[in-house]
Amino acid sequence: MIKSLVFLLEFLKGLWITAKHFWINIFFNFLKLIGFNIRDRGSVTIQYPEEKKEIARRHRSLHRILTREDGSPRCVACMLCMTVCPSECIYIEAEEDPNPEIQKRPSKFIIDLSRCCFCGFCVEACPEDALRMDTNIVELGEYNREKLIYDLNRLVRISK
Amino acid sequence: MIKITINGKNYKVKEGLTILEASKQVGIEIPHFCYHPALESEGSCRMCLVEIKGVPKLQLACSTPIKDGMEIETENERVIEARKAVLEFLLAGHPLDCPICDKAGECKLQDYYYKFGLFEDRFEEEKPKRDKLFRIAPNLIYDQERCILCTRCVRFLREITKTGELGVLNRGKESLISIYEQELIENNYSGNLADICPVGAITDIDFRFKIRTWFLERKKSICPICSRGCNINIHFLSPSFPFKVEKRVFRITPEPNVKINGYWICNLGRYNYHYIDNDRILHPLKRNGELKQISWEEFYEDIGNKIKILIRRKKEEKIGVIVNLSLTNEEYETLEIFFNKCIPGTEIITFGKKSGKEDNFLLTEDRNANRKGAGKYRFKEKKIDILKFLNKKELVIFFGHEITEHCNIQLLSEALKDIKTKVLIASNKGPLINLVDYILPSTVIAEKEGSFTNSQGITQKFYRVLEPLGESRPEIEILTSLAQKSGIWRNFLMTRRAG
Ligand code: SF4
Ligand code: SF4
Ligand code: SF4
Ligand code: SF4
Ligand code: FES
Repeated sequence: MIKSLVFLLEFLKGLWITAKHFWINIFFNFLKLIGFNIRDRGSVTIQYPEEKKEIARRHRSLHRILTREDGSPRCVACMLCMTVCPSECIYIEAEEDPNPEIQKRPSKFIIDLSRCCFCGFCVEACPEDALRMDTNIVELGEYNREKLIYDLNRLVRISK
Repeated sequence: MIKITINGKNYKVKEGLTILEASKQVGIEIPHFCYHPALESEGSCRMCLVEIKGVPKLQLACSTPIKDGMEIETENERVIEARKAVLEFLLAGHPLDCPICDKAGECKLQDYYYKFGLFEDRFEEEKPKRDKLFRIAPNLIYDQERCILCTRCVRFLREITKTGELGVLNRGKESLISIYEQELIENNYSGNLADICPVGAITDIDFRFKIRTWFLERKKSICPICSRGCNINIHFLSPSFPFKVEKRVFRITPEPNVKINGYWICNLGRYNYHYIDNDRILHPLKRNGELKQISWEEFYEDIGNKIKILIRRKKEEKIGVIVNLSLTNEEYETLEIFFNKCIPGTEIITFGKKSGKEDNFLLTEDRNANRKGAGKYRFKEKKIDILKFLNKKELVIFFGHEITEHCNIQLLSEALKDIKTKVLIASNKGPLINLVDYILPSTVIAEKEGSFTNSQGITQKFYRVLEPLGESRPEIEILTSLAQKSGIWRNFLMTRRAG
């Protein structure tokens, strides 16, 4: 007897939580509807993709390669990012740069995002500040894997 | 033998050594840049400072000879502090461009900084700007900024090659290494400079920017380019490298062996490694109108049967074998058992690569790795009429393309037309490819195990460094499998056991 009373109590508690959220959401969404700017209260569901969550400043998003003033990539093909990457998704080949001050540049630079775990080690390893993950681009879905392989041009273009 | 004390422990060492050499013998490394075991010590880098009891100032380990009863400290605070200071001076003008420096990963400056340095840069002055792309040789680039003026390169050219192309110009902090006027270093040992430079000041154009050193693995082998048999290290892409790259071998460096090559190898041996990855024969091929890939089994059956029939018909003299001079001793032994002992009557001739110029140091005239070893099994190069030899043969087996260096290829192809079965066993593509019916891939030396006897008569063993490319197999394996199918297997085994 006492046992079933406890169950009933829990059942009513549950009903109460559901009802509470329902009425609070109705209330705030009504306010929103008539023009009040309310962001955090109300519905816990974000209406993605119309609505998007704000990305934190230190969030690690799609990579980009920074460029020098003349537009050439800052990367000197030191391959430290390739060395540190735990997912083994960066591949680089180097070549001679005609400018003796620079000497070395990548002839091939590939990040295979289908393997990337977004750890950000590559950014940390880069001695030239050539690689960053601050584009805030997080919607990277593609219909085939090839499109997830980003080459140098693509990574530089994101920067511009 | 005299007694010395290093870091509180007593040792007995030979007389006449320097402190650095003595410590090395007992297993204590003293950091150094300018000292090199093959060169006169110069004492210019000051990295090897040690404390000697009773001597007020720190002393250079590389140029102080040991004395009986000497008490040496190599790891105490004063010494470590001094090393730190030396490093700080060396790095004061150093560009620290490790990201683009090929030496990074095997650079003494880097290693010692991590071990003893780890200081904050206290210099506020701008680092001096200098020429970073100074050509000192057709194969070498000198970076004036990175040089720490240890003069190893200068001493190498003065003492080892005795050509003296490099010298130190200017004084004090303006000093730099330079060639005289525009005369590039053209000697056959210039490649060693990139190895002995303790930092990345001299870099090899052949290796420049190809790969970072930490992706490479190295294993010992023997240089097959001439009969000297220099000990080498083959640097190849580590099998754990996660990406598919066609090239496996990235450079060759010397492996010290005082009896043969000292600490050096010649440029010919150093830069001649592309054959390991390029132009290789990958699969057994058979010509039936056009070349078709076959399996090894098919080949063993085909040729084994041919040999069997010829033996049954007592026509052994219709089998011709053309041997080269770059096989291993073990392979010559197998050839000897196979053809001379089990199929007596087979005709065997030997051809090596044409001689080249010797250079009075390591490189010999004879460009065959194992002429001495072949000679032991009576495979000797003789002047003979190749066309006459090929006349009326039914089966010829070529080891390598060497024969084409000794005869007119037109005439050879004419002579080969009448021969029913022609087999080529070679690692790389070459002129014989178009003239034979069976093409079998053999392994290169780096993929083999065996031994060579060099021109001095020293027999050296070497081991497999790389996995065989494609379906290639070592000659010894090919011969053994062929023996199984040729109806001589029992005989072959017995002779081999008896031998
Ligand atoms: S974020 Fe991590 S996994 Fe992705 S490329 Fe960089 S290092 Fe590799
Ligand atoms: S670490 Fe930076 S500079 Fe080095 S290869 Fe990667 S992106 Fe280029
Ligand atoms: S010489 Fe050594 S310390 Fe200097 S840039 Fe090259 S790797 Fe770095
Ligand atoms: S180039 Fe290299 S070997 Fe020659 S003095 Fe400079 S650091 Fe020493
Ligand atoms: S190794 Fe002794 S001074 Fe350079």
